[in-house]
Amino acid sequence: MSAASQAERAVLEEEFKWLLKEEVHAVLKQLKDILKEASRRFSMPAAGVESQLKQENFILGSSTMDQVKGVLTLQGEALTQADINLKIAKSNQVMHFAFRDDKQWKMQQIQDARNHVNQALQLLNSRDETYHFKTGAEVNKLMDAVMMQLTRARNRLTTPASMTLPELASSGLIKMFAPPMPGDLMVNFYINLSKLCLTVYQLHVLQPSTTKNFKPAGSSVLHNPGAMFEVNNTKFEVSHVHKVECVVPWLNDTLVFFTISLQLCQQLKDKISVFSSYWNYGPF
Amino acid sequence: MEKNMLHENSRENMSGNSLVLPIVLWGRHAPTHCISSLLVMDDLATIITGCHDGQICLWDMTADLEFYQFTIGTQREGRLLCNGHYPEILVVDATSLEVLYSLVSKISPDWISSMSIIRSHRTQEPVFEEESKPIYCQGCQTISFCTFTQLSLLVVCSKYWRVFDAGDYSLLCSVPSENDQAWTGGDFIAADKVIIWTEDGCSYIYKLPATCLPASEHFRTDVGKTAESSVPPLVYSIADRADKQIEEDSEGADTVCVWPERYPDHENAPELLFLHRPLEAPLLICPPVTRFFYGRREPFHKLLVQGDSGGRLSLWSIPDTSPLQPLSSTAELQVSSTVSLQEAFDKLTPLPAGIIDQLSVIPGSEEPIKVTASVYIPSQGRLVCGREDGSIVLVPATQTAIVQLLQGEHMLRRGWPPHRTLRGHRNKVTCLLYPHQVSPRYDQRSLVSGGVDFSVIVWDIFTGEMKHIFCVHGGEITQLLVPPENCSTRVQHCVCSVASDHSVGLLSLRERKCIMLASRHLFPIQVIKWRPCDDYLVILHGSMETHGKGFSGLGLCSPSCFSGF
Repeated sequence: MSAASQAERAVLEEEFKWLLKEEVHAVLKQLKDILKEASRRFSMPAAGVESQLKQENFILGSSTMDQVKGVLTLQGEALTQADINLKIAKSNQVMHFAFRDDKQWKMQQIQDARNHVNQALQLLNSRDETYHFKTGAEVNKLMDAVMMQLTRARNRLTTPASMTLPELASSGLIKMFAPPMPGDLMVNFYINLSKLCLTVYQLHVLQPSTTKNFKPAGSSVLHNPGAMFEVNNTKFEVSHVHKVECVVPWLNDTLVFFTISLQLCQQLKDKISVFSSYWNYGPF
Repeated sequence: MEKNMLHENSRENMSGNSLVLPIVLWGRHAPTHCISSLLVMDDLATIITGCHDGQICLWDMTADLEFYQFTIGTQREGRLLCNGHYPEILVVDATSLEVLYSLVSKISPDWISSMSIIRSHRTQEPVFEEESKPIYCQGCQTISFCTFTQLSLLVVCSKYWRVFDAGDYSLLCSVPSENDQAWTGGDFIAADKVIIWTEDGCSYIYKLPATCLPASEHFRTDVGKTAESSVPPLVYSIADRADKQIEEDSEGADTVCVWPERYPDHENAPELLFLHRPLEAPLLICPPVTRFFYGRREPFHKLLVQGDSGGRLSLWSIPDTSPLQPLSSTAELQVSSTVSLQEAFDKLTPLPAGIIDQLSVIPGSEEPIKVTASVYIPSQGRLVCGREDGSIVLVPATQTAIVQLLQGEHMLRRGWPPHRTLRGHRNKVTCLLYPHQVSPRYDQRSLVSGGVDFSVIVWDIFTGEMKHIFCVHGGEITQLLVPPENCSTRVQHCVCSVASDHSVGLLSLRERKCIMLASRHLFPIQVIKWRPCDDYLVILHGSMETHGKGFSGLGLCSPSCFSGF
């Protein structure tokens, strides 16, 4: 190896040592701070303490149509109240439903996202300032693990579960309301990106004498009018679908935090790969 | 111990003519085996390890130690209990893999971090319980039920381990972790002893205080008293420290930790190797997996098994008796046997060969030039190998395999098998593509290669000539792809190249120029999708999981928007 490239190699080694000793910890500290902010948004209560989680009301409605209006109360990861006004098509009758007093509906997407953030923080906390990273591979491994948790956290919020209509019918949500919901109505709550969404399905029973070709609909986040399904030997068809939503500001914040954190992780990985590509240049 | 790679066992399962037996030429370097799970079998005296890379390894035990499987689950009906990133335990039929039912907590259901099966003498059926009691253990790693007394429960969290009365879950004792070491698991090894292991792979055997022992008259005398009791005496320790340390815990008992001589070849010990190759040194980058196994049949061996990210398996036989030393110092338990995948490889004669080892000899070095990329062209019976020095070797596939697998006079011929070497790349070749194989619309003479020198080279595979070099990327070439059939004519004669600077290029083999370069993506390119009708290229990046619909960014590029470079 020539003297010039040997000198270059020595400088690179020093740079790499600096990266592992100083830069990595600076990035980890930034990540911890951002994710602590994110976890505060989820208002995680301390274990075993009935702390006062912030309760927030969200008004879900549509500017163009007013068939469905809802006021949902979100406390942490649970809906503690859902006040729904529904104007049935063809009649001007307005139906009103609310959760029974003792009932809450857990938003699994929020719990999962919170748990993933928790796991990412645990990974980061396992390596404090005194920890000495010895290889780039070690840093990459940590970044990969953190990025996986953050990606999953984000995916939980951006990708609501696809359910079939029979699954929706048996989810237990309909039984939570007072007055009890009639058999021709179904509702669903989910998070989509930073929005809290309420969908209401109006159903009608398909008579056995119907000429329609019965084809059960598959899973979907949002079913369309015309979708058919069968439950307890009764066939149903969706006649109307109403969807209303409302932005949850703190969910928006967490999505931004996820993006920034992912970028920080990726940038650190890129810095390490600069050195690994140099090391790939063997003495040939 | 010997090693059997899983694919060899498929010989017994041969049925029908359609089965293709893979034969692997590993080369002299063992594949990475970052052990993530362990199982000790009771029939063949075998240990199975699974690793993060997706491989399973079977290790044969030596004859003098026999081990038996610690059965988990309702053996007769065959149930699998699954927990993960969801708030329930799924009970799955082990034969049909059908989810039978799920167990959910009635009070604040959340992800399950650990579970343990308590077998009842009275009934084999599962008992469903509605009551629960919060025990406030944060960061719980494992739960173990004491099979010796059937009356206590060990809960290991990262910062402490605790013993509870299994009847009413009252806290019997609590021991914190020392020196920032995180506990990752533990188990009862006797009615009065527990073994707890850490994230670093060290293990400690403690003798439980009398308040934890149902047989003792002091049982439960500490219940309700303030939190953490004094540290129980340490009986044995199994440490993994590079240096000798003498630590004093609060009781004044000395703990001596000595690095067991596990690495016979000290230069290759992970701690030292990093000085030479900081980026690739196989340091223990994943925490090791430690498990305690207790044979349920004669001769009732108690075994601690540990697998680490260097592909090393270590075994300690746990004695039933306490050490003869006075209780004021702790004995170090010596490893019973240890082997790594690379050591198993090194013991073989002849050494496992790589596919073109005999053509890759470096004068003055024991190691051949590594093959870093390859493509097999069945229509020509040829294997194309790109190497770490930038050269590309073209060999007849079958003859090359024969050289490594069979003995014969061909071994004596110099330069056998006949081959051609293409030189053009500076340093490692990372990708090889023979486009004609993917689609006959390409010229069958074109062979495309990408390397760490940021360049993509087009070769004539028959004459060995370099036809063109594309130098458009700012990073190592990571992928070479073929656009689908129904793209526009111009794109049909291109190959798509992806580089580590997160850029994507469309390189025309016909026009010999780059017709599109999409760069400045923040994240590595994961997937490229095509919309040929609209002449669009969709770049998905950012997400680690491509099977999900999540992606942080989306790039829509149209080749028609870009004029030639």
